Amino acid sequence: MRFIDVSYRYKGESDAAVLGFNLVVKPGRVTALLGRNGSGKSTVLGIGAGWLEAGTGIVERAGTVAFLPQSERLAFAFTCIEYVSFGRAPHLPYLALPSGCDIDKASAALAAVGMGPKAERRITALSGGELQLVRIARALVQEAAWILLDEPSDMLDPAHVATIGAAIRSLADSGVGVLLSTHDLAFTMAAADEVALMRSGRLLDVGPMESVLTCDALGELYGTPFHLASIPTPTGR
Amino acid sequence: MIPSGRVAQARTAPVSLALALFLLLAVSCAALLFGRYPTPGFIDPRILFDDPMALRVVLLVRLPRTIGALLLGAALGASGAAMQFVFANPLVDAGFLGVSQGASFGAALSMLVGGGSMALFGSAFGFALLALGMSVAMAGRIRFGGAVLRLLLSGMAVSAFFSALVALIKYGADPLSTLPEITYWLMGGLSGTSWKSLTVAAPVALASVSLLVALRWRTALLSLDEATAASLGARPRLERAVVLTTAAAGVAAVTAMAGVVAWVGLIVPHLSRLVLGGDGSSTVPGSAILGAIFVVMCDAVSRGLFPGELPLGITTSLIGTVVFFFLLVRRRINVERG
Repeated sequence: MRFIDVSYRYKGESDAAVLGFNLVVKPGRVTALLGRNGSGKSTVLGIGAGWLEAGTGIVERAGTVAFLPQSERLAFAFTCIEYVSFGRAPHLPYLALPSGCDIDKASAALAAVGMGPKAERRITALSGGELQLVRIARALVQEAAWILLDEPSDMLDPAHVATIGAAIRSLADSGVGVLLSTHDLAFTMAAADEVALMRSGRLLDVGPMESVLTCDALGELYGTPFHLASIPTPTGR
Repeated sequence: MIPSGRVAQARTAPVSLALALFLLLAVSCAALLFGRYPTPGFIDPRILFDDPMALRVVLLVRLPRTIGALLLGAALGASGAAMQFVFANPLVDAGFLGVSQGASFGAALSMLVGGGSMALFGSAFGFALLALGMSVAMAGRIRFGGAVLRLLLSGMAVSAFFSALVALIKYGADPLSTLPEITYWLMGGLSGTSWKSLTVAAPVALASVSLLVALRWRTALLSLDEATAASLGARPRLERAVVLTTAAAGVAAVTAMAGVVAWVGLIVPHLSRLVLGGDGSSTVPGSAILGAIFVVMCDAVSRGLFPGELPLGITTSLIGTVVFFFLLVRRRINVERG
């Protein structure tokens, strides 16, 4: 997936949310977008998913995209298995219902993220972390070439962050290209291969996590002094 | 773990739907035998062979009326469930988007100018769809909020607009002839239902319910976030329009036939979730069947319980509001958002 000189401006706004943005997301790799609130991370994800249309520039992508927005409204108490089987929609004809095979895939995806025992639970009864896992399971059954996640570790406890990091890692290891936005540096260190730093809609720097994630770069990015402490990474990678 | 999940999902829903369908058949047969001829209560089916008058009452009065009630309930239930999904809001029904009020205005206008029953049906149906079109067109001009909020806001305004017009017509109508006629029609009822009136409304209602049932899973998918639904290959704008038009056409047809019958579309989907379980593909067909059962029973009560006929809209509202309150108190309606 390749962003080439992409710009985007929201209706009624004078400043562009994303300006001259270039990025290559590779299959089998996890790329983390870092930047302050309002720096254009979510807009980049929306454009990558095809949900927003780039004002100028182009996005090249080979294959389908699964997109997990930051939050999702839960107006109805679907069971986890029902909810995950919605992920089969791109593979089904317009009026078809998910078949037994689709339901099996949904069960397998739930099991893969450790939510197998809760397949018949209602999504409204889940904790935030469990819901995030179920959403990732739904993205799994989409069998998309690319998965875009907007702040997947937001508001989760460290154990769930670790589980989600592991789920994302195994996705990438199976060949899926992952692009995610996050403010969570520990999560980034555990899950990401590449890091892209964004400020005011522009790409500041991009490269392997080890070389980009420096104290100086982070200090400049967030405008507050940083020093990297050596903390055990949650996934133990 | 995989087989049990699959069984629970794929097997139990059709079984409970089949049971509900069987119950609908039983309730409809009972409704045919219930009424005030020759005496209040149920008639013995055996007298149908001896009493030609009883046979005529059942075949020419109660049968079309029961079919009308069945279609009315099925259309209101299915469209209520579909609209709740489309608006991602468990507290809306087909009355949103101005469909019911548009139909009311069309019917009142037709009664004011003195058209026949076909003109009344056409006018009610036409204005119901016009109200839907106005709601959608207005929503497109609102420049804030998501698509769903815009539709709800413009639907509220269009509903209020048409109810003001209905009030205006009632104010100007002849208080001795037209006003009672309009008022009685607005209360909703199937007393005017005959085989002839069914031939117009039934095909539209049947088509609407069938299409909504066919669309049930896609409709449930639309209740997810717009961005999420789009990422799942849906075209939310187009698919929402298809579901809303289908639902509104069914509601317009049965409202044109029977007047405004409230509360069915709102509470029946909740009853369906409660009784039949599940929320995905079983809610729309379940609501169609339970809606039909509910209205057939209410109509039988309306025409058979008292010497004078009680308007159906009053019966459904009285029972519906009590059930609604019960569901709220027992926390069977969950409006908390994630």
